[in-house]
Amino acid sequence: MNGALALTIALPLLGAFLLPVLMRVSVAFGVWIGPAILAYGCWILGDLWLTGSMQPFSVALGGFAPPLGINLYADTLALLFALAAQLLGLIFWPFKLDQDSARRQALMLLLVAASTGLALSGDLFNLYVFYELTAVATFGLVAASGTSAAYAATIRYLILSGIGSVLTLFGIALIYGQTGTLNLAHLAQLAPEQLSNELGLAAFLSLLIGIGVKAELFPVNTWVPEVYATASSRLSAFLAGLVSKLALLIILRLLLLVFHQPEAAQVILILGILGVVSGELAAWRAKEMRRMLAFSSIGQLGVLFIAMALPDGQGMLAVLALALHHLVIKSGLFMLADGWGGALQRLRGSAAASPLAAGLFVLFSLSLVGMPPLPGFWAKFTLITELAGQTEPLYLMGLTVFLLATVVEAAYLFRVAAIIYQSAPQERRPDEIPKAGGLSLATAGLFGAGLIATTLLIAPVGDRLQTIAAQAQDVDLYINTVFPATPGASQ
Amino acid sequence: MTLTLLDELLLFSGATLLVALFIGRGLAAGWMVTILYGGQLLTLLKMAALGYGGGIIASSLSFTVMGQNLSWRFDALSWFFALITLGSALLSSWFACGAWERSYAKQGGNIWLFHLAMALNVLSMLILLASGDLLSLFIGWELVSWAGFLLMALAGGVATQAAMRYITYAMAGGMAIFGGLALVYSSSGSLQLDAVLIAVESMSTTKLWLLVILFGGGFGVKMGLLPFHLWQAPAYAETPGPGSAFLGAISSRMGLFAILLVLVKLFGIVNIDSLKIPFTLIDARDLLAWIAVFTIIFPTFTAMKQNDARHLLAWHGIGQGGYMLLGVVVADAMGGAGGLLHVFNHATYQAALFMAVTAVIHRTGTADLNKLGGLVVRMPLSFMVLLIGIIGLAGLPPMNGFVSKWLVYRSLLNEGMPLLFLAAVIGTLGTILSVYKLIHNIFLGQLRVEHEQVKEAPWSMMAPMLILAAIIFITGLFPGIPLAWVASVQEVVGLPATDYTLGGVESVSGSLDMIWVIGVLFAGFGIGAVIFYSAGRSKRVHQLDNYAGGHFLSADVRYQYSDNFYAGLMHLVGGWYRGSFLWLEKSVISLIDFLSLVMQGLYRRANAEFYLLSTALFVMAWVVI
Amino acid sequence: MIPALTPELILYATAIGLTTIGLAGVVLSVHLFRMVLSLVIAEAGVNLMLVLAGYRWDAVAPILTSLGEQPAMVDPVPQAMVLTAIVIGVGVQALAVSILIRIRQRYATLDRWEVAERMDADIAATAGTPRDVSQEAPLGERPLPPIPAKRVDPSGSES
Repeated sequence: MNGALALTIALPLLGAFLLPVLMRVSVAFGVWIGPAILAYGCWILGDLWLTGSMQPFSVALGGFAPPLGINLYADTLALLFALAAQLLGLIFWPFKLDQDSARRQALMLLLVAASTGLALSGDLFNLYVFYELTAVATFGLVAASGTSAAYAATIRYLILSGIGSVLTLFGIALIYGQTGTLNLAHLAQLAPEQLSNELGLAAFLSLLIGIGVKAELFPVNTWVPEVYATASSRLSAFLAGLVSKLALLIILRLLLLVFHQPEAAQVILILGILGVVSGELAAWRAKEMRRMLAFSSIGQLGVLFIAMALPDGQGMLAVLALALHHLVIKSGLFMLADGWGGALQRLRGSAAASPLAAGLFVLFSLSLVGMPPLPGFWAKFTLITELAGQTEPLYLMGLTVFLLATVVEAAYLFRVAAIIYQSAPQERRPDEIPKAGGLSLATAGLFGAGLIATTLLIAPVGDRLQTIAAQAQDVDLYINTVFPATPGASQ
Repeated sequence: MTLTLLDELLLFSGATLLVALFIGRGLAAGWMVTILYGGQLLTLLKMAALGYGGGIIASSLSFTVMGQNLSWRFDALSWFFALITLGSALLSSWFACGAWERSYAKQGGNIWLFHLAMALNVLSMLILLASGDLLSLFIGWELVSWAGFLLMALAGGVATQAAMRYITYAMAGGMAIFGGLALVYSSSGSLQLDAVLIAVESMSTTKLWLLVILFGGGFGVKMGLLPFHLWQAPAYAETPGPGSAFLGAISSRMGLFAILLVLVKLFGIVNIDSLKIPFTLIDARDLLAWIAVFTIIFPTFTAMKQNDARHLLAWHGIGQGGYMLLGVVVADAMGGAGGLLHVFNHATYQAALFMAVTAVIHRTGTADLNKLGGLVVRMPLSFMVLLIGIIGLAGLPPMNGFVSKWLVYRSLLNEGMPLLFLAAVIGTLGTILSVYKLIHNIFLGQLRVEHEQVKEAPWSMMAPMLILAAIIFITGLFPGIPLAWVASVQEVVGLPATDYTLGGVESVSGSLDMIWVIGVLFAGFGIGAVIFYSAGRSKRVHQLDNYAGGHFLSADVRYQYSDNFYAGLMHLVGGWYRGSFLWLEKSVISLIDFLSLVMQGLYRRANAEFYLLSTALFVMAWVVI
Repeated sequence: MIPALTPELILYATAIGLTTIGLAGVVLSVHLFRMVLSLVIAEAGVNLMLVLAGYRWDAVAPILTSLGEQPAMVDPVPQAMVLTAIVIGVGVQALAVSILIRIRQRYATLDRWEVAERMDADIAATAGTPRDVSQEAPLGERPLPPIPAKRVDPSGSES
């Protein structure tokens, strides 16, 4: 079964290349290919998750053993995010049929394949390739909405992302020049001797800023409000919900396995704090739903960076909890924005028009600001207890900023809620009030139901997250899993 | 598994919520919910042993999430506050049933949402009161905050604005507490009360200061302590009538409950005493006392300026919170008793006052003090209730407010704090002046033509008001009844317990026996009545059967005006109302607005590539150098 | 001291120089097409750097010529990686150019600031919001210090 893991990447990739051709042969057959592939992927991963031993394992691709060959590394964390990629791909599948649908569906499959690869790959260059694939698929999908603004946003994103790739490659070159390997496990073995110096730090910072473009790291996140405002809500949900977390996950793995310098954590912390401040404050004045969500997403990712900066992977649990929570919430909110996009002032009276959507909005907002007993509270709780335990004043500053930003966040989210629940202005005809409905509302409802289920099952979910975090934190386990022949490696 | 009494209470409360949720649209929903509140109160009374001497009743509900134990239990402190909560919920809900509910629905109000919000508030308050560790305290705290938001916002319009302001303040407070919680956790490794109690012993002064500020500020927001008081008056006043009675009676006292639990019980008022402000003579406790005193003075005088009866009462609610905190901070037997007793007394008369005002609104359609007058002849019972209420609020005998305020004054004098005493008396002066404005402008003076046909409030509203009035008088006559509960609360939170009798307190420095006080007072009244009725005949005449300047009076000309009340006084003190706190609030909002503009500009005018490269260069340079 | 001018040093300097020129070009250009071209230059520089990371001066190309004793070979891994990177790069550039054509068709300009301006206006128009940043009107209320109460002259004159 373990070998089937590679299929979760290979099948969508294959599908992406064959889909345009097959759609030309038979549309009725072609439209089912994508969902079928993703459903199969979900089944493989779900099966591994449920029946597996919960022990991490490594798959050598093409039969070449690492460090020479490229391997996939699957611990529970990676499996979880791979599963999330396939599942969200299925949920956000571009069902709409028109002349462009073959292209869109192919790009979506490519995006899911690359995202799964990002979650699973155990090789730095391989990660880079998947990272670029994600980028290309994203460009195509953003531009696919076809408006002029979308093209402009895409090219701006593309250039920024291009520089990001240059910096990432530069970092990879530095690492390879120093160590002669790009396998993460091998790097983890070599790092204490070869990379715990200034060169290693420079390499890490290049990688951080390069990959940070996708992870919405301040200040290389200026593409976020433009792209989320022009792309379709489903794509924005996928990007904000999942792709940013995957980029973050890569940085986290690098930090944990390879780069232990305190300076590295410090840079992440400072940039994270700035991200929280800039994102939440910018959202305060946002007059439009999607832009507000985009800025809020920047702020939330900033919080994740703060959590990540905790020394020795102490923040692992907080990162995991916050990331999953944000994944659910932001996806749900963007789904609501599908019907409610546009100026916030237009939303007056929409609660009466679609009460379920209004209720979901309030639920998501409450969880986002961390109202107990919703899951958002527990995620925030794990973070602040870890932060308060640090003696370094910078961490306490992070704590303060985080708490203040939450107040601002609550203020602007509930300002929107108040607008939604206002009665509709007299001069507006009922059909002018934006309605959230149909498929996107159902999807949002799905996320809402997930949130409520998590609230009820918070104790077992929390325990499971703790085991996942503990496993992901264990560097020796990572090395021993990839190189079973060398027990008790050099660490 | 056997259910403890606390489980029963919480289940009962949850059932009330479900009833309000699912069959709350039915005809008799209000009565049903009211009866269920009565049931909850009965269950609480079954736990009455808690109120007399303590003990603990734990809930069998407890669980562990991410290594944190959550548990709930009741002790004397919780019981005392829960009694007030359920009592005011029962009476407010009763008040809402029938006539009020019908007219509210006719005006477009959503009565289902109202009952739901009330039930949610009660349940969340019980959960908060039952908290057995700091984490469950925080959970309860946030639940109460958001439940309150629902009740405040449901009237729409101005009320929503006020509620938005409230929730922003409440979030800020909540986050301060959250931060404090994290700091406590970092030094104790647990949020269980015993562990925290031990950890407090070895905390550094800086940390203790920080915690006092975070917790004091956070809980103070809900109490409406200066300078975080601005939200409270509009939010409470704009809540639909019975809701404002309920909120005014108990909601902001949750802040005092938390202060008692955390600052007094856990940190110990003595520890706080040891925190000196550098280079001054005052310590943290003095600071709290002075904040309490200013919370008495400023809002009370702001209340005097209000022209809306509900706003006037709501501003007083803030001021009276100051007396409670003042008493608790003085922390001797008498002061503590005074502060805690005032919680009970305030709840009774504030609820009665809000109900009386709501009854007036129900009949006349306005709460504008400039548009009312002379209603005593049309609504005599409401007048009686309001009179009893304001005597209590002003702290005069024979009502219960006198006892608690007397205890606080006495303790201030006993402990040698004359300045605080003086300030508290100034606050009381303002109270007396403004409550006179209230009763005069509504009930006294000339009846308006448009109110000629007004009738007394319906019995569904009158009954709870009369019950409250009776409680106000009876606990004024026999303050020993609530003092028994107060004494057990004092023991639980670690304050010296007061020595009470049925009629008041026994103390070396000065005793109070209300039975004597009231006896003397009524003897005086009796003598007066004898003189009055025996002195001669009196004739009852119509208000307009009179002369002015040699002319007969007529209904179309007003001879007595109630607007621009206290014009002369306002002329003198008007300059003091500078709106400094409003200015402070606006400045903070403008600052955030400005920063937000800067940040948006940053993202909008972005030369993203330049940011990227300069950041890269900057971090490289910083790291390498 | 100036280090000796070995070919290795020259190549490294070229790689870093190309990257710098490219990145500077991206930042300094105003024309979007030039920005894309600069990106190509920067990528070339980084690719060169990657090749250099695995290059050995005393070795031969990594091709198996016989099964016997092998001479020292250049590390083949970076070369494979660079090939991949180049392919990806070309793909992205093609996409970029195609998008540029679309933008040129819609906006009739490729000036980056003008494009940004037009995009902002478009987004605001779709959303139905007024443009967020106005150069003329100051936004928000300006906080003023509390106004001292008007002192009424006892004599009653309003001077």
